[in-house]
Amino acid sequence: MIARREFLRGCAAVGGGLLDACAGDTAPKGRTLVRLWFSYGGTNREVLEDLVGRFNRGQARDYVQAVYQGDYFEGLAKLRTAIAARCAPVLSHVVGEVVPYLARAGVLEPLADYPDLRGLDLLPELGQERSWVGGGTQPLCALPFNRSTPIAYLNQDLFARAGLHAPRDWNDLRAVARRLTERREGGRFGFGCPINWWFWVALVAQAGGSIVAADGRISLGDEAGVEALGLWQELVRDGFMKPPPGRDYNAWEQCNQDFLSGRVAMIWSSTAFLKYLEAHARFKVLAAPLPAGIRRAVPTGGTFWIVLRSAPSAEKAAAVRFLRFMHAPEQVITWSTRTGYIPVTRAAVSQLEAQGYYAAHPNDRVALDQLSVAEPWPWSVDLFRIQREIVQPRLESAVIEHRDARAVLTEARALALEPT
Amino acid sequence: MKPSRPADPYWLLLPTFVFLFVFFFYPLGMLIEHSLFSWDLLTPARYVGLANYRSLVRSGELWQTFTTTLSISSAVVLGSMAAGLALALLLDRPGRFAAFVRGAVFSAYVVSWVSVGLLFLWLLDADAGIFTGFWRNLHGRAPRWLGDPALAPWAVAAVSVWKITGYTLVIFLAGLQDVPQSILEAAELDGASPAKRFASVTWPLLRPTTLFIATTSLIASFQLFDVVRVMTQGGPVRSTTVFVYAIYEQLFLDLRVGRASAEAVVFFGILLLLTGVQFWFFRSEESA
Repeated sequence: MIARREFLRGCAAVGGGLLDACAGDTAPKGRTLVRLWFSYGGTNREVLEDLVGRFNRGQARDYVQAVYQGDYFEGLAKLRTAIAARCAPVLSHVVGEVVPYLARAGVLEPLADYPDLRGLDLLPELGQERSWVGGGTQPLCALPFNRSTPIAYLNQDLFARAGLHAPRDWNDLRAVARRLTERREGGRFGFGCPINWWFWVALVAQAGGSIVAADGRISLGDEAGVEALGLWQELVRDGFMKPPPGRDYNAWEQCNQDFLSGRVAMIWSSTAFLKYLEAHARFKVLAAPLPAGIRRAVPTGGTFWIVLRSAPSAEKAAAVRFLRFMHAPEQVITWSTRTGYIPVTRAAVSQLEAQGYYAAHPNDRVALDQLSVAEPWPWSVDLFRIQREIVQPRLESAVIEHRDARAVLTEARALALEPT
Repeated sequence: MKPSRPADPYWLLLPTFVFLFVFFFYPLGMLIEHSLFSWDLLTPARYVGLANYRSLVRSGELWQTFTTTLSISSAVVLGSMAAGLALALLLDRPGRFAAFVRGAVFSAYVVSWVSVGLLFLWLLDADAGIFTGFWRNLHGRAPRWLGDPALAPWAVAAVSVWKITGYTLVIFLAGLQDVPQSILEAAELDGASPAKRFASVTWPLLRPTTLFIATTSLIASFQLFDVVRVMTQGGPVRSTTVFVYAIYEQLFLDLRVGRASAEAVVFFGILLLLTGVQFWFFRSEESA
């Protein structure tokens, strides 16, 4: 049985396109190779590669080889397959929802004992401690780098012409979406948002709910979950919101394109796209916090650095040195100001404030300020499965096929409670 | 008569047997075994018996995937056969133009599925696609070809028909070459119209060719993956999640090895059944 599983692991490596990755890369002579798998595309990829280049040029001990592996979900699939095939890189980054699962599987290196990682001065809302409920009681295994919150992007030209301001609550959102919708061929939607778990979680929290109840029960927000889904259904049914086609990040990209082309006046997306949207819009882009339901709330997003336990000790130590470098204010500032992600250390935020950066770039401040209402994720090993397999397909179904929100979420809750 | 070297046939069969064992029977056995376990590649496997099959059936996933695959495959087979036959009848003539069109139609078949998927992704774009613009000019409002669960499977099927019609064209052309001209001429002398000649002579003689195309393209269309991966990723609302994509999603995105294996076993059974039906048809054709 074991031998056959080994064989299957090998097959998985082939299927996952990992042969090249497993073939054995080399670093310049005398340097320790750090294989880094990353999932940033476009500008974010360029910035990361610049930072990696800066690290490689700045010292002669370690050499980071950064390899692009597709979007978050493709990258995660390859990483998990590579772990199973025993050819995983030493360093990668994953979405927060999957960290508890990977931690329980025992594949993450505990990081607390590395002296290089002491005193990183992280913003607590973005570190493990407060990104998860009880994250501080778990062994440290994830460090923040590209962290985000959902924010609203407004076509300021259209808003100014209509004399509108960024929606402050859900009623405002309904009114603004209605006002900015143009019902004619080639017209415009007032609002656009990917029908995606992350934004639904934001709405659930704004409606006063949470995905996992205080007693640990998977509630999917109970009544708040229904209200959250109901808001989308209402806006789509009334023709004020465009649900972009495509799944996962295809839908996000489509949403961005709809905004840039003027087909949608306001979108919800990640702060990660701030610089991209500002650079490519032919109108002024205004970033705004998400509106409140019965309260203001947003989830945090983006990914965390993880070091893979299976790697040789020398490589893990080298990876940790790279992480130390990446958390220095200079790198954090470069990363956040060139991409839109939130700076993850207090020192970087202080420097940016002292330089007057936020006064000159108020859009960059929006996500940072939203951290005051950031909701931690539950530390649940089932969270990723619930997101990918259970909730996400049903959100699409409820919005696109107009299924009853309550029935959809009742079904999802029942499935979430089934043993895997 | 007793053969002097009775073991020789088995030695000659050995390479084929080894090949089949390594690349077919052994993986198939592993597949069936893994379908009885719950395993995510990272944590230890747990024996669950037939729970993976039960879960696939109870969640409706298996039935949905089967009906989606069958719908898309039926549309692909019927569409490509009809288009291939029509084009073969039109182009079964000498001349440079006919040769050019034959080549042009067949060229789509040699283009990679990924390229075709990307091409049609742009052509069918809900806002800027050429088809969308054309439809909008005609009807004032264009459908969301890939964003509407009711349309997306047919859009994927239409793209597949466009891609494989070149193949059916070539096979039908070969079939038409085998129709004896003398019978067609005799029918013409007897006063049969072109439609009557087709219905009474050409079509009956093309039956074996048609059966061959139907079964091979049905099996091929059951294995659609690339175009779904590129154009819809199985959506919207799983409306284009065909068997192979569902297995890929279970295995590589959700890391549910057991579920993916169970789905693959069912898929194997369906393909086996289709192949059996194919053999049965050919046998009955030969004995008729």
